[in-house]
Amino acid sequence: MDLRFSAEDEAYRQRLRDWLKENLGAATGAGGSANAAMKRAEEGSGGKSDPLAGARAWPRKLQEAGYVGLAWPKKYGGQEASFTQQVICADEMARARTPPLINTIGLSIIGPTLVQHGTEEQKQRFLPRILRADDLWCQGFSEPEAGSDLASLRCRAELDGDEFVVNGQKVWTSLAFLSDWMFLLVRTDPDAPKREGISYLLLDMKTPGITVRPLRNAAGGQHFSEVFLDGVRIPRENLVGELNGGWSIARSSLDHERSGLSGVVALEETLGRLWRMAGKVQRGDAEALGDQATSRALAQHWIEIEGLRHLGYRTLSDQIAGKPPGAGASVGKLFASELRQEMTRTALRVEGPLGPVAKRSPHVVDRGRWHAAYFDALAHSIGGGTSEIMRNVIAEKVLGLPHAKDD
Amino acid sequence: MDFNLSEEQEALQEMARGFLSERWPAERVRELLDARPVLIDDDVWKEIVEMGWLGVAASEEAGGIGGDVMTAAVLCQEAGRGVLPGPFQSSLVAAIAIERSGDKDLCSGLLPGLIEGKRRVSVAIEEPGGLYGPDAVRTEARAAGEDWLLTGNKILVPEGNEAEHLLVAARTPDGLGLVRVAADAEGATTTRMDRMDGQSCAALVFEDAKAEAGALLGGADRGEALLREVYDIWTALVAADLLGSAEASLELTRSYATERVQFGRPIGSFQAVSHRLADTLVDVEIGRSLLYGACLALDEGRDNAAPLVSAAKAWLSETAVAAAEAALQIHGGVGFTWEYDVHLHLRRSRCNAALLGDADHHRDRVAAYMEQSWVPLVKA
Ligand SMILES: Cc1cc2nc3c(=O)[nH]c(=O)nc-3n(C[C@H](O)[C@H](O)[C@H](O)COP(=O)(O)OP(=O)(O)OC[C@H]3O[C@@H](n4cnc5c(N)ncnc54)[C@H](O)[C@@H]3O)c2cc1C
Repeated sequence: MDLRFSAEDEAYRQRLRDWLKENLGAATGAGGSANAAMKRAEEGSGGKSDPLAGARAWPRKLQEAGYVGLAWPKKYGGQEASFTQQVICADEMARARTPPLINTIGLSIIGPTLVQHGTEEQKQRFLPRILRADDLWCQGFSEPEAGSDLASLRCRAELDGDEFVVNGQKVWTSLAFLSDWMFLLVRTDPDAPKREGISYLLLDMKTPGITVRPLRNAAGGQHFSEVFLDGVRIPRENLVGELNGGWSIARSSLDHERSGLSGVVALEETLGRLWRMAGKVQRGDAEALGDQATSRALAQHWIEIEGLRHLGYRTLSDQIAGKPPGAGASVGKLFASELRQEMTRTALRVEGPLGPVAKRSPHVVDRGRWHAAYFDALAHSIGGGTSEIMRNVIAEKVLGLPHAKDD
Repeated sequence: MDFNLSEEQEALQEMARGFLSERWPAERVRELLDARPVLIDDDVWKEIVEMGWLGVAASEEAGGIGGDVMTAAVLCQEAGRGVLPGPFQSSLVAAIAIERSGDKDLCSGLLPGLIEGKRRVSVAIEEPGGLYGPDAVRTEARAAGEDWLLTGNKILVPEGNEAEHLLVAARTPDGLGLVRVAADAEGATTTRMDRMDGQSCAALVFEDAKAEAGALLGGADRGEALLREVYDIWTALVAADLLGSAEASLELTRSYATERVQFGRPIGSFQAVSHRLADTLVDVEIGRSLLYGACLALDEGRDNAAPLVSAAKAWLSETAVAAAEAALQIHGGVGFTWEYDVHLHLRRSRCNAALLGDADHHRDRVAAYMEQSWVPLVKA
């Protein structure tokens, strides 16, 4: 058993650290953060030709330095880096608090899917543009009638010569209003069993017939949209994999998860903030941290974070050894999303009677950051497979328990 | 980076699991639970000794096999899973304490005898008063000429009745330490305590009990550090035992939920059942990860070893009990029978959950570490 990284990997870490020190400042300053840019784009303000120019600058810098597309083939602009270097990279980015990447969906979902299942032409055409944040992507899977039961989706595509004609609706599509492309699941054979009549398509969002209607989310922001597709034509070359073979590809899109280590640094910093906040919040004549219920709750979170970190080490070790990921990935996803929620609940409890005070108020605690974190955390056990669905997966795939219902 | 058991550790695990399932049937524990105390049968003990389990963490010079804490934890985990009683764990811990003391006489005399199963030594840390761990120790060791005089009370000393020597945590003028006392020393009284799982443990009373010169393990300089180290290692081994219990409960329940049919379906297809088991699996995997982290930190002597040990102990104390309770509930009526093994795991994990500090005690240790060492390092 050994938790040390090789000298080569440590040298890689050091180079990355040095690079970040030199290059990060420019990215975070001057309103270049992805969040700020997205906000401006949402509001339609600026009137600039590309309201996202600032937000694209940082991922481009990373691309030039070779710090994105780590797992991808070099041929398409990737790095062919080892699992360990992927983990080190995610770790250092989180530690340095690099800004969120505007092309995350491309980098973490559709990119890896195309690497695995795309045609040579699709790879050459799309992968380099994803890495450079030239194209932003959104995921068109969920529909009003198809959420957890994704395979019951109805959005219809019919072949008409060399083109698919698509009619239907997608919903909860994150960042649809900013995206250049959408990868979507459509029904191409309505008579086949439901998993066997689904195809995986790539859609240029400038195609006529698309209506994007942003939805306001519970936290008050505009993050996801409804997307209506009315006679939208997609060239056949934009089919990924076989016709009617989209379901298994979609499964692999959902499986492109990381070992879970990348989230640990952020959780740790959140806990550090929570501790400091508890040291300031008043509780009678003392501060909240002085009361045992609070310090024990924070200690419990430390324990949980260490559990997640060491689980991540085990998953990474399996990956390095070429073993199947085992229980680690689904366990990590479920545990991490619940932990995030629990930490924000603890934060609101520690804030006490002032916990509910809104950000605008001069009485707000800790600049109201825990409200946003709380809402954000609540969404995490819904998006990308609800926690209940994760429990079904663990029960059936890991424990081998019988299927809940025969369908 | 390789954060999984080595091939040797996996082979040892498999061997131990096979041995215990063959030679130590749960039926035997049930019989002993009625007879009390629950102790390993002599013939099985002999085989365990011959396989070298007591020297798993001792050096080759001392007759051990030179393993580390992680390897010892592998065996303790199997002991938990196979409901193997004492004096396995207490002997293992005593051997670790003696070897780490560096005391040449003990290492060449008592230690080989202990590893060969001929001598019996136990470790006494816990005291009455409702608190846990070295900091709660009030037993005093006074110097009397060359010798030591020991006064105080100890509880829950594993196999304290069967031991020939006791390593007793006490306050000396130079700080805390482990003082070796003969069980039959004048002024030492041993009475039987009884645990829910039937395992043998003792309450000790010392009234100016005499210990010989040099009885403070590690001497005045290293005595306190040694006691804290032994407490951490022992706590990690108890956590390993808890992991084994939790795994056993989960496996029993998994297979029962697959076979038992109600409403025309296996009960494992009801989500109230399957989700509870999925949550148990998550907790077990987090616990295993924490245990590995704690053992590795101990073996590498890292600064965060103590909080990681506490993390593993706090987490697994709650996980193992919850897994056994889930097992009882999901087995329905038969889960509440004497004949099913569920209660054996429930009893053992309840005992171990309180041994050497419950979850709250260990959360408090983590909180103290966070304040001192962790918070200053985390970015604001
Ligand atoms: C912030 C956010 C961003 C998202 N972004 C995208 C995106 O970019 N692209 C996209 O395609 N989708 C996206 N989604 C949609 C997300 O994938 C779905 O919301 C999710 O799969 C659940 O589907 P649903 O909302 O229809 O809920 P439902 O499936 O109707 O579920 C409702 C409740 O029933 C439970 N339930 C359902 N089935 C079972 C079962 N078999 N056993 C037990 N319980 C069950 C669920 O766990 C849930 O609690 C996003 C969602 C959120 C919240």
